[in-house]
Amino acid sequence: MTTAPQAATAAEVTEIDTSARWPLLLLLGSALLWLVLSGILALVNLVQLHTPELLAGCSAMTYGRSSAIQETAFIYGWAANSGLAVALWLLARLGGAPLRSLNWVVAGTLFWNFALVLGIAGIATGDMTSNAWLHLPAYVLPMLLVAYGTIAVPGVLAWTGRRKEMTFAAQWYAVAALFLFPWLFSIAQMMLVFAPERGVLQALVAGWFVQGAWTLWLAPLALAAAYYLVPKITGRVIPSYDFAQLSFWTLLFVGAWTGGRHLIGGPVPAWVATIAVVSCALLLFHYIVVAVNLRGVFCGGGSTVLKFVAFGLVAYVAGGFLDAYTAMRGVAVHTQFTHFSEGQSQLALNGAFSMLMYGAIYFLAPRITGLAWPSVPLIRAHYAAALTGTIVLVVTLIGAGCVQGHDLNTASIPFADIAGHVRPWLLAATAGQAILLLGNLLLATHLFWLAAAKSAAPAVFDPAPAMEASVS
Amino acid sequence: MKNGFTFFLGLFLAVALAWAGIVMGSHVQLGHLAPYFDENEGKAFPERMPGIAAQGQLVYQDLGCAACHTQQVRRPDFGSDKARGWGDRQSVARDYVNQAHVQLGESRVGPDLATFGARPLAVDASRLIQYLYEQHGGMPAYRFLFEERKITGERSANALKAAAPAGYEIIPSHRAVALVAYLQSLNNVYEYPEARPVEPAAAKEGESK
Ligand code: HEC
Repeated sequence: MTTAPQAATAAEVTEIDTSARWPLLLLLGSALLWLVLSGILALVNLVQLHTPELLAGCSAMTYGRSSAIQETAFIYGWAANSGLAVALWLLARLGGAPLRSLNWVVAGTLFWNFALVLGIAGIATGDMTSNAWLHLPAYVLPMLLVAYGTIAVPGVLAWTGRRKEMTFAAQWYAVAALFLFPWLFSIAQMMLVFAPERGVLQALVAGWFVQGAWTLWLAPLALAAAYYLVPKITGRVIPSYDFAQLSFWTLLFVGAWTGGRHLIGGPVPAWVATIAVVSCALLLFHYIVVAVNLRGVFCGGGSTVLKFVAFGLVAYVAGGFLDAYTAMRGVAVHTQFTHFSEGQSQLALNGAFSMLMYGAIYFLAPRITGLAWPSVPLIRAHYAAALTGTIVLVVTLIGAGCVQGHDLNTASIPFADIAGHVRPWLLAATAGQAILLLGNLLLATHLFWLAAAKSAAPAVFDPAPAMEASVS
Repeated sequence: MKNGFTFFLGLFLAVALAWAGIVMGSHVQLGHLAPYFDENEGKAFPERMPGIAAQGQLVYQDLGCAACHTQQVRRPDFGSDKARGWGDRQSVARDYVNQAHVQLGESRVGPDLATFGARPLAVDASRLIQYLYEQHGGMPAYRFLFEERKITGERSANALKAAAPAGYEIIPSHRAVALVAYLQSLNNVYEYPEARPVEPAAAKEGESK
């Protein structure tokens, strides 16, 4: 660790990074455009909830449609593009060789985003399906599947063709996410859209898909970033690393069994809900191991990247415990069907997933471009906005949910009064979402600024700790 | 982790087992579920949706009404669904066997609609059409489901009692009419053998319905 910064820079950025520059920037740029779009729509939706007049006359922006577009843009736009970029880059670095078939990544990205635009236009004009996390119309689903494959294959190849025998936790999570999503997505398409199940079986498939997409796809993508960044930046070995493998398989094998989490007390076999409750409890083991493994994140010594990662990890673990708590029947009876559930989703998506991605983006963009971020204050401002916005949004939605849950279960309170009681909370949530959006605009602007900069200051990296990640 | 094949096999099993358990498991249990034939009434329940209502279900789906409304009544001792008059019994899987696009919903910004067809507002179609035209508290107005048309000769019988420019009237579109027919068809009240309301004392049995 006594190497001079210059020497470290040479070793820190290699052809692995620079060769993937444009494909990864394309993925990240698209991701951020979708993030901003979904942020704007989230703001519109929150306003519509307390002021239904907003855009009520516009059929494309009626609440049901705009909220579906918001969700779709977030998951298939922001989360998929950014998660793929980060996973590909990690796998190339940890595999020790530049990515192959980068042209396919570029073509796949263009195709994916084109299909998504088409799908969202479809939702806006009346082709939406009513499945959570799968509102996209039938005609774009096969396109998305093919596009995903072309983007993900180089990542899987980087893993199977890796030069190093040893593997790292970051790799397991990244490969799992790349490999599993197509299975989930194609089964869900078949059973919900092309040859739909009848009756409540639809709801069960949808529940399995949503929980699967979170625990087998988005959460692993985010964790891959965390397991890479924390040891890399702190330069410390991951403590209790032996448990990491068990924790990984726990998430994978138990995760999708939580599919009945939102169907407690619903018209489905009662064992589905029971298994969901048990699975949520079993997953606590996974969350605890993640917390123990990555606790070094709090010794970041001023690294901005690690600040994002630390917040993301706290949100991830807290979200896991909250899921287990609200899966209990006695709690679900109050929180089910309320803004509480929305607060939980936002904690997972904005709190855990996005924060970990922001951290990864701040880390990788200078490495693939070889340029330093143009403005440090801008990064700090984004951090402050993301932190405040997310906390305000999640806390107020959960607060709104508690009020709403209490009111709904008190049969004498009419709906007009419930709306009145929830309104202050939703107003505050709107403010939170606005702050969050502002922060994300800063990140998007910053990334485009970086990508456009030609002769900006070349990046100088701190002496990099010798290890890529912890040794297994 | 060193052996690529077992690793991928493990990944594959992770997704396959949960799918087999939850989806196929319920399929085995519910896949054969058929409408219940009532000898006394001489017809099967749930009744088939009239064609226009099935069209209305698509309108309900593409407008995303499920973002604010559930269609699933919980047991009388689980929440206040019964006390709110949303149904005397919990919804059961058989209620939905005929539905091509199930709309269970996950949010109750507005009331549950599983038994909406039995409520006074639903009985009078013209009142319900009018309801969709106006905003009610948190329920947005759906004016784009209506057309402003020039009055030629007599006023149309289905024109709304709503302010329109002189010489014009407000007419519900076909989509609005279909949506109303769908809402009127929502009526999960028939008591199947498995759907007898679970009262608090018998709550334990309800768990294994
Ligand atoms: C933004 C949320 C929201 C959306 C979207 C929404 N509703 Fe509502 N709906 C409500 C609320 C809130 C009420 C209760 C209004 C009140 O009584 O104060 C309601 C009430 C109703 C009622 C009357 C129920 C009763 O028993 O009194 C019907 C019928 C209804 N909505 C149908 C629909 C249909 C059809 C759609 C889709 C075209 C829809 N709603 C979309 C929020 C919503």
